[in-house]
Amino acid sequence: MGESFKIAVIGSGPAGLSAAARAAELGLSHVLLEAEAHLSNTIYRYQKGKYVMAEPAILPLRSPVSFAAGKREQILETWNRESDGLKVNRRLRSEVTGVSGTRGAFCLKLADDSVIRAEHVVLAIGLQGNIRKLGCPGEDAAFVQYQLDDPDEYNDETIVVIGAGDAAIENAMALCERNKVIVVNRRDEFDRAKAANNAAILKAIADGRIQCFYNSGPRKAEDQPGRRPRGLIILNTASGEVHLPCDRVIARLGATPPRKFVEGCGVAFPTADVTSLPAVSATYESNVAGLYIIGALAGFPLIKQAMNQGYEVVEFIQGHNVEPADEPLLRGKFGAMPGFRTVDAALELVQRRVPVLAPLTRLQLREFLLDSELRLPQQGEVIFERNAYSDSFYSIVNGQVDIELVGGKATRTVTLGPGEFFGEMSLISGRRRSATVHAGPNCMLVETPRRSMNKLIYSIPAVKRVLDQSFLSRAIQAAIAPERPPVALQSLIATASVLAFKPGEHLFREGEPGDCLHLIRKGSVTISRHMDGRDVVLAYVPAGQYVGEMALVSNIPRSATVTAAVATETIRIDGEAFKAMLAQDPPVKARVEEIYKNRLARNVSALQQPERGGVIGFLMAQGVGEATDVLLIDESLCVRCDQCEKACTDTHGGLSRLNREAGPTFENLHVPTSCRHCEHPHCMKDCPPDAIKRAPNGEVFISDACIGCGNCQRNCPYGVIQMGVESKTRPSLWRWMLFGGREPGLQDHAHHDHGDVPKKAAKCDMCKSLPGGPACVRACPTGAARRVSPEQFLRVARKE
Amino acid sequence: MSTAAETRTVPTAAIHEGFLAHARFRYFKLASLLCVLAVAVYWWDDPADGPNGGTWLGYTLGTVGALLIVWLTLLGWRKRDYSSRLGTVRGWLSAHVYLGLSLITIATLHTGFHFGWNVHTLSYVLMLLVIASGVYGTIVYARYPTLITVNRDQSTREAWLAELDELNEQSLKLADALDTQVHQIIVQSIDRIRIGGGLRAQLFGPREPLRKAFAQVEKELGMTTRFMATKLRAQPSMRSLGPDESSTVSFMAGQLVGGSHDNESAQKLLDLVARRRDIAGRINRDIRLHAQMQVWLYIHVPLTFALLAALLAHILSVFIYW
Ligand SMILES: Cc1cc2nc3c(=O)[nH]c(=O)nc-3n(C[C@H](O)[C@H](O)[C@H](O)COP(=O)(O)OP(=O)(O)OC[C@H]3O[C@@H](n4cnc5c(N)ncnc54)[C@H](O)[C@@H]3O)c2cc1C
Ligand code: HEM
Ligand code: SF4
Ligand code: SF4
Repeated sequence: MGESFKIAVIGSGPAGLSAAARAAELGLSHVLLEAEAHLSNTIYRYQKGKYVMAEPAILPLRSPVSFAAGKREQILETWNRESDGLKVNRRLRSEVTGVSGTRGAFCLKLADDSVIRAEHVVLAIGLQGNIRKLGCPGEDAAFVQYQLDDPDEYNDETIVVIGAGDAAIENAMALCERNKVIVVNRRDEFDRAKAANNAAILKAIADGRIQCFYNSGPRKAEDQPGRRPRGLIILNTASGEVHLPCDRVIARLGATPPRKFVEGCGVAFPTADVTSLPAVSATYESNVAGLYIIGALAGFPLIKQAMNQGYEVVEFIQGHNVEPADEPLLRGKFGAMPGFRTVDAALELVQRRVPVLAPLTRLQLREFLLDSELRLPQQGEVIFERNAYSDSFYSIVNGQVDIELVGGKATRTVTLGPGEFFGEMSLISGRRRSATVHAGPNCMLVETPRRSMNKLIYSIPAVKRVLDQSFLSRAIQAAIAPERPPVALQSLIATASVLAFKPGEHLFREGEPGDCLHLIRKGSVTISRHMDGRDVVLAYVPAGQYVGEMALVSNIPRSATVTAAVATETIRIDGEAFKAMLAQDPPVKARVEEIYKNRLARNVSALQQPERGGVIGFLMAQGVGEATDVLLIDESLCVRCDQCEKACTDTHGGLSRLNREAGPTFENLHVPTSCRHCEHPHCMKDCPPDAIKRAPNGEVFISDACIGCGNCQRNCPYGVIQMGVESKTRPSLWRWMLFGGREPGLQDHAHHDHGDVPKKAAKCDMCKSLPGGPACVRACPTGAARRVSPEQFLRVARKE
Repeated sequence: MSTAAETRTVPTAAIHEGFLAHARFRYFKLASLLCVLAVAVYWWDDPADGPNGGTWLGYTLGTVGALLIVWLTLLGWRKRDYSSRLGTVRGWLSAHVYLGLSLITIATLHTGFHFGWNVHTLSYVLMLLVIASGVYGTIVYARYPTLITVNRDQSTREAWLAELDELNEQSLKLADALDTQVHQIIVQSIDRIRIGGGLRAQLFGPREPLRKAFAQVEKELGMTTRFMATKLRAQPSMRSLGPDESSTVSFMAGQLVGGSHDNESAQKLLDLVARRRDIAGRINRDIRLHAQMQVWLYIHVPLTFALLAALLAHILSVFIYW
């Protein structure tokens, strides 16, 4: 029949632990179920000695267990001690494999087939998923591990690495220098890994530095007490069983994402997108009555938020209506609203006025507005300028704004009123603002940062639909006929659809019939032609412009191949509708033809200089296709003095963000390891405190809110982020010149032992706090180093 | 989102502008003007006891020259004041080079062509030496960067070192399979590879040239099998080597082929040794090019300080002993 509790909490991360602790404090019957042999597996798996941060600093903590910034070990120790003190009924090694039932009558199935009954379930399993284990007897043996902190800890051991993904390969490569490494791969290739890792492991195997068993898997792991080596792993291989004595088994088999388990409990996800999370009510209840979801799984990626929710959810289950911990913050934000009474009333007003926010649940709305700012600009005030790089999204709660559209020489003003929104163009395209926006009378706006907006787009299909639709008509209008009102383009817009292309995928190929126009809304493409047996790149077209008009204007087949340089989205416009529109609108037709002629001329001149195509191709491969600003070194001028690096070091706390020598070279053009300030920065993707921002001039920078989790470092494909500690003091040039000592511009090695100071992410900020541009460029004595935006190539090209 | 549909074409050069051409040769023009002006006034001026440092023009040119020298020295300060917003280092260097060169005219006119064995002429000579080293540096800065890039051939020093390690390991393994004598010789050749070294080695290449280390391997191996050499000379891997080296490599190859070893491993080992020589050579050339490109500053700067000292003595003595 199984034991029965009032509240069963699944997962003992900060969210679950805090919920169970609150239940224990209130004396409620409860159980805390944790799959692992310890509490809080996500934090347990942080790197040893990691400094854990307590962001956001302004949010108060509300939980029976304490939490303050500090070392991982210290925090885990405190949680263990305090939960013991509160007599939390915890069950370790109790993985829940299924939940069924609803409020009052839940039935939880555990991995060992036992069953627990509960009136309420709190799901707090985070997003890390469950680590895949060996799946054979002995998977928890002492010599089997599922993580590798520091490969340098091991010497002269025989280590069996199981797995074929990036983590397994990177571990094997790091260990094989000083140990005998054997890799076990279930399949006969490593092609799921990054190209570089794949090449590296194949080479190491070919050179005999690593031994590999293909088409093999573990059958059994056995401790051999008192013997050396202390472990034995038995493999099933194509040619029968193999016994491998070893000191250590490191299994890197990835993790199962929690979604399937959660769906198995009856919880619905709003979209199929991998980033989509289940929607919960203001009391954290999911679509299954009595099943509550809190913490990272509910979309709250920080420890403190998770702990607060743990406390609150138990209160809600008890029927208490607690004021959420963020209430004072919201009151601070919206208190300035004319006629403000309560936070709830203010939230409701915003939701009623702005239709795009209508599908949000109360909790999503709170979260959304907590990230947003209320803006009350004076009439005439500039909200943003054309060509600025900001990427936030604005909803109009009251009053109106005037948008100045520039089309050729004429400008046209569009007025938007309450309930409408703007700013979605830069949000989607990642490019500069396309128009200047002024405030009208009585203007009340809500400004939302990019991340919160993207979160909404990915988790609420209705929001995505509305934004896409509006983007479609506004972008078509801006790119093709800015002087025409949208109604004139209705027939065109009706044929449009959004298409997505992977890097390297063709939009269309040379010789195909031309039946459509592509307006690039995100990413960029290259135009190439096949000549003398190879593809010659002619040009590069960024987001905001269209391709494919040539075949439509001239009625000939496609004269070139168009390929996505990076992940790209286009708006496809039907060719016939486009031609019909041109026939009706001679001025627009004249402009399209003008562009067509220019392109034709430029293609001809590009074809005469095929070596340029090589440079474009090279730069595209280095990520320039998604860059807004990139450091390029002309090696025929560079005297390798490293002044550029020293300048970076000196102006950024002794930590250079630039590696001059690393990075590829094409002819004389060298692309050093330095930030490209991407249009859609990959580094922003998964930053728990949303610390990575874009400044109005386009600089992507990391603010002090960084918690040092290292996600951005992993996500940047160009390897330009490093984790480190900035030094507070800066060497004095005078002192060095007169007396010697610490030289400006050199990395500060004495400071390298930083003890308790947390490491944070450091990357190029283009010296945005210094007037006159980046220090690296200003310090280069020969003019070899320059930071350029792809737009600047264009300007230089036109001058010729 | 921009309205005009504009394709971008990337130019190959044009993005960068070197320090000599900085701001369309602004400082070249300024320095030339200064020189022309100085020469014109010098011609026009006709002092009673002939041109010399003591006339009003002499004083003016002397003051201008001394101030220029002090300012030229300040490049060392600006270079390291990384957050300075006082112009770019490139602009400073451009002005440094052209105004530095203009000193030849200004200081020479300042002397009025009076030279002797004294501290005055010493200052003048030191100045010319500093300038000469500067001119050398400018030439080196113009030529070496491209040489380095060409020698690098898209690779990096780390990649080379890693490959060298690997080649060593592979050739040992191959040699091991072939026979112990070959193995021993390969071990010795690995021990003899020299990378970098002291200043001399950096500037002129390692004292025990790699060529010797490799040549020795090859010679020892070649003793017994001279007769095979001609047969193998046509091998593609030999073509890139110099005449005597290629013969020693082929002797080794001959020995290997002439012995009981299998032809394929012999050829492989041969290729490995040749590749190793190529890489070791490139690394040392890379080090040499870097050293040669930078060493002149170690003459330019100390001479600058000697010049400043002499200049001080020159000025003091003029005022004291007049
Ligand atoms: C490297 C890194 C560094 C970070 N640094 C910080 C920081 O400095 N400050 C900060 O505020 N945040 C930080 N974060 C974010 C923070 O770790 C998470 O927001 C937080 O852990 C989320 O808490 P949670 O309780 O929702 O889930 P988790 O902490 O992920 O806990 C989930 C628990 O559920 C268990 N579980 C899962 N499935 C089952 C099951 N079926 N049955 C039973 N148990 C199960 C897991 O074993 C785990 O113990 C960091 C994240 C990472 C990855
Ligand atoms: C009397 C005249 C000159 C003086 C006192 C002088 C002094 C200096 C000083 C102090 C430096 C800084 C070195 C450092 O700190 O690293 C320097 C650098 C340099 N000088 Fe001169 N110089 C003189 C003339 C010239 C001339 C005539 C030329 C060229 C034609 C020249 C070319 C250079 C160059 C190329 C550098 C290197 C800049 C760098 O790599 O950062 N100098 N000089
Ligand atoms: S850090 Fe990397 S991902 Fe982020 S903007 Fe720079 S280059 Fe792009
Ligand atoms: S400062 Fe200029 S010349 Fe010196 S290393 Fe950097 S790019 Fe090369």
